[in-house]
Amino acid sequence: MKQSSIKTRFTYGFLRTLKRLPKTRAKSSSFSPEEISKRCRIIKLATDASMASAVGPRRAWSRALIRRVRSQRRQRQRQWLVMRRTRRGERKKGGKEVGGGGQTDSLRKLVPGGETMELCTLLGETAHYIKCLTTQVQVMRNIVDLFSN
Amino acid sequence: MDRIAGTEVRSVNCGEEIEEIGVDSLQFGEEIRRLMAAPTHTGSSFAALLELPANQVMELLNSPDTVRTPASLAGDHHVIERPSRFSVFAAAEMSTETSSIPSNSTPHSHVVKLEPVNSDSNPNSSDPMAENDNRKSTKRKEREKKGTGSTKQSKSVANESSGDGEKLPYVHVRARRGQATDSHSLAERARREKINARMKLLQELVPGCNKISGTAMVLDEIINHVQSLQHQVELLSMRLAAVNPRIDVNLDSLLAAESGSPMDTNFPGMVMPMMWPEGQGYGNRQQYEQLWYFDGLHQPVLGREDNASFITPETSLLSYDSSKDSGEFRFDMQFSVPFYFFLL
Repeated sequence: MKQSSIKTRFTYGFLRTLKRLPKTRAKSSSFSPEEISKRCRIIKLATDASMASAVGPRRAWSRALIRRVRSQRRQRQRQWLVMRRTRRGERKKGGKEVGGGGQTDSLRKLVPGGETMELCTLLGETAHYIKCLTTQVQVMRNIVDLFSN
Repeated sequence: MDRIAGTEVRSVNCGEEIEEIGVDSLQFGEEIRRLMAAPTHTGSSFAALLELPANQVMELLNSPDTVRTPASLAGDHHVIERPSRFSVFAAAEMSTETSSIPSNSTPHSHVVKLEPVNSDSNPNSSDPMAENDNRKSTKRKEREKKGTGSTKQSKSVANESSGDGEKLPYVHVRARRGQATDSHSLAERARREKINARMKLLQELVPGCNKISGTAMVLDEIINHVQSLQHQVELLSMRLAAVNPRIDVNLDSLLAAESGSPMDTNFPGMVMPMMWPEGQGYGNRQQYEQLWYFDGLHQPVLGREDNASFITPETSLLSYDSSKDSGEFRFDMQFSVPFYFFLL
């Protein structure tokens, strides 16, 4: 899958999501920090979801991102079931791994869906995730620069 | 030591005289020969056993050279010659024939050992068991020689190294023969190669990581890079939230062009409406991508107007929509900025 097509689809999806965000009232000129933080959280979810949808279901980290977005939108009562499922699905770590255990564990926490991966697949998913993150940062910078002018 | 017909002759050279020890024991050898010779007795018990007359039994015992074979084995010469070849008595006879030591040997006579003449028709053919034993013994001797040589070399190297700086040499221990071709080791080797290839790919992706050697340091740099990218995404989302949120991105034209695409599939309860169904591909993507790109040649660049004094809705980036009383600014993509501005 070409990086340019991912970039195009992410840009389109993210702008479309920004349009569908809940609009603030015209009367209130000043915004409370709570409202800004809530809006920031929504935008963060929108960027993650649009990036995952642009990549497609072939990658494990994109599937994990979609699951995370869905679980964050669900009720709190069902969320602990998802946590239990992910704990059950964790891989039993055995044998020697490159670079020691602490570094691979921290990398698993950073890459979405990395808890259930082996080291070889984790490195491949990390490489693709870094590419997509750089694309995401570039597009978001362009949008912020456009809106801030 | 030369063994000749059961006798041991030890020759010690002292100047010109040759002392021979144990020559008297040759008499015992002659007695042994007499005992081994065929006894001249009537052999009535043999005659009873073989059911042959006494004169034929005596002929058989006294003449060992002439071997009478039964009629069934008359044609097979190999079967007849095999027991005579491998028998102990035949070897004893060979040794008695080949030994050239006279019984009345003087103490100053030189002892000469002659090579035994093969009694077989084929002189080159020898006993295969004996050949195997000889090969094994020579291999063992060579191994022992190599072992002693290697130990001597290692001792000398150790002495030299201890003399120089007391540093022991690095001994490379090779794995066993069967371990390299084991399926587990092959799979582990392939896994290590995959990991190394992906680490190289990650080194290329992360800036400033090519100079670092060592997987631990590379992993640290990768972790720092991913964390910094995630922090940048959070900061940019904060900036987007802090920017005037009344800006409405007008994508109606794009949505109208995109109405038949599979990216319009909505999932309930989602912030992002365009989620893929599992296993669904992006069909006819190139048609939609052609519709997304706008012609930027006839449009003014951002921040630059042709007529700075007179601003019209066509030339301005943010135009006020007077038809609606909502008081919102409208971001007009048709007249101001192409879509691929975000892709730069």
